[in-house]
Amino acid sequence: MIRLENVSKVYGTDIPAVRDASFDIPKGEFVFLVGPSGSGKSTLLRLINRQERPERGNVWVAGRNINEIANNQIPQLRRTMGNVFQDYKLLPNKSVFENVAFALEVIGKPRHIIAQQVPQVLDLVGLGDKQDRLPHQLSGGEQQRVSIARAFVNRPLILLADEPTGNLDPSTGEGIMSLLEAINGTGTTVVMATHDHRVVNAMRKRVIQLDRGVIVRDQERGVYE
Amino acid sequence: MIQRISYAFRETIASFRRNVTLSVAAIITSAVSLLLVGATFLMQRGFDNLLVQWRGDVGMIVFVRPDVTPQALKFIEQNLKSQPNIIDVTKLTYLDKAGSYKEAQRVFAGDSTTLSLLSVETIPSQFKVVPKTTDPELVRSLASQYRTLPGVAGVSLAEDEFDVISTLSGFVRTVTIAMSLVLLAVAVILIWNTIRTAIFARRREIEVMKLVGATDWFIRVPFIMEGLIQGLVGAIFSCVGLWTLNSAWTSGVAGFKAGTGVSSLVVPDSYLNGVMIALLIIGATAGGVGSGVASSKFLDV
Repeated sequence: MIRLENVSKVYGTDIPAVRDASFDIPKGEFVFLVGPSGSGKSTLLRLINRQERPERGNVWVAGRNINEIANNQIPQLRRTMGNVFQDYKLLPNKSVFENVAFALEVIGKPRHIIAQQVPQVLDLVGLGDKQDRLPHQLSGGEQQRVSIARAFVNRPLILLADEPTGNLDPSTGEGIMSLLEAINGTGTTVVMATHDHRVVNAMRKRVIQLDRGVIVRDQERGVYE
Repeated sequence: MIQRISYAFRETIASFRRNVTLSVAAIITSAVSLLLVGATFLMQRGFDNLLVQWRGDVGMIVFVRPDVTPQALKFIEQNLKSQPNIIDVTKLTYLDKAGSYKEAQRVFAGDSTTLSLLSVETIPSQFKVVPKTTDPELVRSLASQYRTLPGVAGVSLAEDEFDVISTLSGFVRTVTIAMSLVLLAVAVILIWNTIRTAIFARRREIEVMKLVGATDWFIRVPFIMEGLIQGLVGAIFSCVGLWTLNSAWTSGVAGFKAGTGVSSLVVPDSYLNGVMIALLIIGATAGGVGSGVASSKFLDV
């Protein structure tokens, strides 16, 4: 599903953010990218959703080399992925329903599909009864659930999560993790960057560890060291 | 499709509301600049009416009585051609009664009294004379000589009538065109800035749109429409202003004494309509281009 071949990314003229990274993530896998801040986890995610282009190497997603696709193909690529962030990135003046519907609206989905899919996915994340709330009326965990609903509503092949539990207390974080695990159970490939060792150790999934842009460990059923 | 169009309209209106002050400034500037552009067109057309008789370096006009005999006409022409040192004989032209009548309709555009007295039958025909010499006295003495020829109704000299206006017209044209171009540039910059502010205000939303796979055009269209509408609304205001000014001017000119020349400075309605349509097109294009450039510059993926 996702394959990196000797990928390097340099910001400016400084030390590389990612150096010579290679890995292969098959369809349906759940992978943690771990490492301290600045080790290159977020850069790897941004290379996969084509927010960045590598200086060297190739990134393959769903059988396509995404460094070679034209700019006007990027939207199609992004529609196969969902993104979840530490700061949720919800639109503050839109309700829960509208925030999730927005993702379908801007890719031109017809209204009756939106009316059908949004409540479904909100039920899935446990917010079926809070559709009309505004983001600031929700707790942090609930806001992250809205953001996951928005990422998943279009049934993406891949879900990219960048520190999704970073702003949450441990028990709320556990709830988010079980939600991501459930989404992974539907066949969606999940790649999650984190430095939260508790969640990594609890899940026992594949762990790719980065240190200053270099992959130093790639382990099945790993833990955070 | 309908859903996308309604989305674009909703976003355009919402964005307009968010930036009322900047939008109004952009609209006023484009209105003023387009009003100047339009006024330039109308003034130029007015001056052209006044000068149409003298177009092509014509320095002297010999008016021929409408009831002239063919022999007398021939005699006048021969007289003119017998002065190749003073007159540029190759550029000598004869405007018959029909042509003169057509020309008179522009010269007396705002003077309906005079126009009603004229007809193709009663109007003098004319020889348009381009002088070769640079000495105005030679032309003047020739003019007084022709006045006595049989069949000649009168002789006019450009010097006496329209040299000042011709110079003035050129000057006014330069100044108004320069001013309207500067103002148009200011309007485009203001529209550009409004769009930049609008994009900045919605940067979070745009980021999310890009990440969920909205196409560039989908994101861009509401901004381009916003700029286009600003330019168009400005143009509509300028048309209203131009129409008001022109009506006031036309009715004012009607009060002038006939034959003072001011009555030439009136434009026909069809010309005014043409100018207003041009202003609408210029306004919409300037707004659309300004916002289009701004949105592609500030919305890079």
